[in-house]
Amino acid sequence: MMSVSENLLGNVFGIYLARATDEEILKRKVASGGAVTALLAYALEKGLIDGVVTAKRTEGLEGQAVVARTREELLETAGNKWSIVPFASRMKAKIEEEGLKNVAVVCLPCQAQFFGQMRDFPLLESDFGERIKYIVSLFCIGTFAFEAFLNYLRMKHSIMAQDIKDIVLKGDFLEIYHGDSVLSLQIKEVYSYLQAGCLVCTDYTGTWSDISAGFVESEKGWTVLITRNLKAEELVKSAEKDGYIELRDGSHVIGDVLKAAREKLARAQKNMMYLL
Amino acid sequence: MIMEKLKVLHVDVGGCEGCNVSIIRAYPKLMDLIELDISYLRKEEYKLDEYDVAIITGGACMNEPRILEELKEIREKAHTVVAFGSCATFSGILRFCRGGQEPRADHRNFQPINSVIKVDYSIPGCPPTPQMLRSFFKFYINGDERRLRLFKVSADIKKLSGFDLIDDILLTGLCIGCGACELSCPTNAIKLIDKRPNLVQEKCIRCGTCYIRCPRASQILSMGDAR
Repeated sequence: MMSVSENLLGNVFGIYLARATDEEILKRKVASGGAVTALLAYALEKGLIDGVVTAKRTEGLEGQAVVARTREELLETAGNKWSIVPFASRMKAKIEEEGLKNVAVVCLPCQAQFFGQMRDFPLLESDFGERIKYIVSLFCIGTFAFEAFLNYLRMKHSIMAQDIKDIVLKGDFLEIYHGDSVLSLQIKEVYSYLQAGCLVCTDYTGTWSDISAGFVESEKGWTVLITRNLKAEELVKSAEKDGYIELRDGSHVIGDVLKAAREKLARAQKNMMYLL
Repeated sequence: MIMEKLKVLHVDVGGCEGCNVSIIRAYPKLMDLIELDISYLRKEEYKLDEYDVAIITGGACMNEPRILEELKEIREKAHTVVAFGSCATFSGILRFCRGGQEPRADHRNFQPINSVIKVDYSIPGCPPTPQMLRSFFKFYINGDERRLRLFKVSADIKKLSGFDLIDDILLTGLCIGCGACELSCPTNAIKLIDKRPNLVQEKCIRCGTCYIRCPRASQILSMGDAR
């Protein structure tokens, strides 16, 4: 791979476009191909992992850490996340409560960095890195300071938190599905409602993960998967072999991913000048 | 390919022995990779004249010239110097030594190793686990600079603690509320309240683990120039 991608996208083993084959999964997904859900369902059903820890949106933009042990529970958690829950600490509690030995975590780049660092560098006896088998990071442009963002939606657009069904990123627009209608907002307009910490973050794909997943505009309906090591590569390949996902080569979209990653880096550098 | 074992020296310059125990616990699984010259297994003198890696544990008392001389000697003998544990890296709990206390009433000014000699990698933790040492050698032997970058930049830092985390990440508004710090604190000094860390100051032993575990802090640290 190019050196620039090494820096910006981290270690790239393989890049693919993937899509779930399961109708049930595809039905729930709007923006991307549902490949993450399918991959994890595969890992669960083949016994590679005994649980998936991820976030589930409860109300408005609030979320909570949940453990999914079955395909059904996994499907419940599908969809975009726009807020961060104090995920790390809840997650440890979850893993210990439920006695999980091999988990996959689906998280954001910052959380992937924490889990990745914990797994690679177990500084504390209380670390649980050896229980984390797969770290799946989602492409991320930032998380909302959601009290402020909800305030803005209520004041400016009269949208109440409890009416929000989903938030989807489409090109330069953020679509807020609420009640029976959709509000389209310019991404630039909502930048100020992202958490300041996210505005100085330089990691778009989650370089500390095993698998990064996201989507690009040019390949609608497909999930971009970046595998970062052999273990991840094997998971993706065997999920394809067993018919859980469709897989195509994705090297032609690396430019799109790089572009988004560069934009995030540029934004971070600019904001760092102001904030630090 | 048969690789020659790394020659590793361990020297403790004063601390609670926690880091030493960690190194001893790690050794059985490291025997294939390294040959360890550890203080417990030697009489007086170091076994060799040159080492690939020196692991230093404990902080340096600035009023003990003998220790300072020994550190300088280690620097000359070793190709790579690793400060292992919070006392060696950021001076940790030894910062609280203020003298007048038995049995060593003379101990009142401890500094991290990098105040005395150039350190190549700093691995904080109170104490770091045996697995951490194994990870370090794995990445070190593979030359994985990307993975070791955080420890390389830490080698230039003399002080890092929960206080710095609060100052640099929370008070600047950069905290995203992930909870990594809470999980990283060995003394439970950090609790998340309203999705933001709250530091119980008396409990912070200045080990720096929370700081280098904070995704935001470690990302910003790693962006700095590693030598």
